[in-house]
Amino acid sequence: MRKGHASAVRSRLTFYERMEPYLFLAPALLIFCVFLIYPFVRTNYLSFFLTDKYGQAKVFWAFRNYTDIFKDKSFWISLKVTFRFVLMVASGGLIVGMITSLLTVKKYIGNAFAGAVYAMPVAIASAAASMSFKMILHPTNGLLNILLGTSINWTGNANWALYSVAAMTIWLTSGINFIFISAGLRNIADDLYESAAIDGAGYWRKLWHITLPGLSPTLFFQIIINIIGAFQSFSQIRLLTRGGPGDATNVIVYNIYKNAFENFRFGTAAALSVILFIIIMGITLMQFKMEKRSVNY
Amino acid sequence: MKKKLLSLVMLVVMGLSVVSFAGAQAAPIEIVFWHSMGGVNGEAITKMVEDFNALYEGKIKVNMEFQGTYDDAIAKIMAAGMSALPVDVVQIYDIGTRFMIDSGWAKPMQAFIDAEGYDITQIEPNIAAYYTVDGRLYSMPFNSSTPLLYYNKDAFREVGLDPDVPPKNFDEILEMARKLEVRDDANNLTRSGFGMGNYGWFFEQWVGKQGKAYVDNGNGRGEKPAAKVVFDENGAGKDILNIWHKFLVEEKVFDYLGQGNDNAKQAFISGNIAMTLESTAALKSLLVNIGDSFELGTGYFPNINAGDEGGVSIGGGSLWALASGDEAKEEAAWEFIKYMISPEVQAFWNAQSGYFPITVATHDLDAFKENILKYPQFQTAIDQLHDTSAEYVGSLLSVFPEARQLVQTYTEKLIQGEMDVDATVAGLAEKINSAIEIYNLTN
Repeated sequence: MRKGHASAVRSRLTFYERMEPYLFLAPALLIFCVFLIYPFVRTNYLSFFLTDKYGQAKVFWAFRNYTDIFKDKSFWISLKVTFRFVLMVASGGLIVGMITSLLTVKKYIGNAFAGAVYAMPVAIASAAASMSFKMILHPTNGLLNILLGTSINWTGNANWALYSVAAMTIWLTSGINFIFISAGLRNIADDLYESAAIDGAGYWRKLWHITLPGLSPTLFFQIIINIIGAFQSFSQIRLLTRGGPGDATNVIVYNIYKNAFENFRFGTAAALSVILFIIIMGITLMQFKMEKRSVNY
Repeated sequence: MKKKLLSLVMLVVMGLSVVSFAGAQAAPIEIVFWHSMGGVNGEAITKMVEDFNALYEGKIKVNMEFQGTYDDAIAKIMAAGMSALPVDVVQIYDIGTRFMIDSGWAKPMQAFIDAEGYDITQIEPNIAAYYTVDGRLYSMPFNSSTPLLYYNKDAFREVGLDPDVPPKNFDEILEMARKLEVRDDANNLTRSGFGMGNYGWFFEQWVGKQGKAYVDNGNGRGEKPAAKVVFDENGAGKDILNIWHKFLVEEKVFDYLGQGNDNAKQAFISGNIAMTLESTAALKSLLVNIGDSFELGTGYFPNINAGDEGGVSIGGGSLWALASGDEAKEEAAWEFIKYMISPEVQAFWNAQSGYFPITVATHDLDAFKENILKYPQFQTAIDQLHDTSAEYVGSLLSVFPEARQLVQTYTEKLIQGEMDVDATVAGLAEKINSAIEIYNLTN
């Protein structure tokens, strides 16, 4: 029996043997389906309907949710605001993370303490940080105005609101950037620096020709994570500005939230989500294309 | 040995079944209560529920669950359907009334009242009127509030204004604010005479204060639900937005304080603004937070124009009972609601929060009288409500949460200079009308 089976194994597996890998995959697939694929399909479906107050599809609306969005001036403002915000946060978080990790890469007294401080934002929930910043940025008796001796309406003035929220978000994302970039720095072989030093390279030269190329996989990964994270920033906007003043900080994610959970127009919210999905997917694909050119593994 | 073990197991099993049987006999009926009261008011409501549980020990047990803001609570209910949620009594805000009636999930209070012959005249008529539609009381008013003007009496004295005469309309506010403001050497405002949060509720109140309607079809209380807004046609919206424009753009009385009331309240407490607008529900927390730093005064919510003859309508929340079909639970919910509006409990609630005592008999209690004597500020809100004719009961609109949000956003567009007053009113009306249209199409 065993012998015969062994000879036929390549061509004819038993039912169990064929099913076995899928059984192992099943738990993961199930979770994937329930929490990712089903909601994704459902979102696409809902985006073609008007929903009633319980969020059930009620009236088939074809593409009108989409055309209404594209006709709405505030959507285009919101898109512009989103891109500005993402650009500021993704690059700002990376730069701050880069600087802080370069500052702590050499061993010195207090190095561990400084590292802990720079990594700290990772451990702070964005909602808690937003509540603190609400006090710090308060227009009449906020800490920041008192320290600077100014009377700037950080979150209530359209010229400042987006920068205020972005600055806070940069600080929040700098922690995770710091951790990953620090780890990346430690992976660069010391002999590279030594031979460069023998060749007479200074600090900036080494940074440009060894550190940056050596870090490129980390930086590439961090840029993607930063961009996706920035696109999805929500709590600081909800708590600090509620998308205002006017549409000044009305990023797409907040717009989606507003439509779904304040206005109970799930159709519009679903359509906006699909648009956001396409944007993020497009950007990520573009980045992977660029990766081939500029990342050294 | 084996036998001994077996008998031991049997004994244990029997013992357990006796215990569980006894437990089933004495187990109180458990109901779940969702509320949205945080801070000082949250502490008060917790105490009230604990007292109820102690009083009804062994009979009814209320498990209370804090749900965050009113918006969060109603969002949960909308998303899941009340009957699918483990909740028997829920606190819903004023503007959720139309939604809750339309949903059909709740058992109207009128059903309990009729069944028991409960004397409904015990409830403040002005307040009950808001929650009465087609002659039926749908939910039990519980925490009712109106907006008030709060002012800093010490600042009034300092600049020679009579601390017992608050302004009645925005002309007077502007005049007094000019006297109350303090500037530093660089001519920056260190204290504004007046400042208010950008809160959509105020807009609704000012429409009523002008004696005008917000929406058509009997202000949304007619047989058919509202089909469109009318504050654009009757001029109410324009007058309100003119005030915003005047105070923030032309006269620069105060610096914009953001949406909602948090920033304004904080600025008022720390003495950075001398007059502000807030709900009566903030009274206790203002008293606690201000402490001894200055004397707090309260006045009627100001009129937009000097000659306005309308009135304020109540806001805040009411208690809705779920129609679960489980008679024991529904009865328990009714007992609980009756307790929460009983005169003694309402006197405590009023003193701890600033919400109105909704039961008339509360006014005769010593506890209530003592509190008013100690803090006469509580009287203003009650007088203001009693001075308002029941015809200004306020509008009902299914899409109020969205409308309120739109009001706030468009007010910001106005003060950022994106559009002028007329364009703002028109844009706002158009947006709310399209929201109503879509709602009526799908529900």
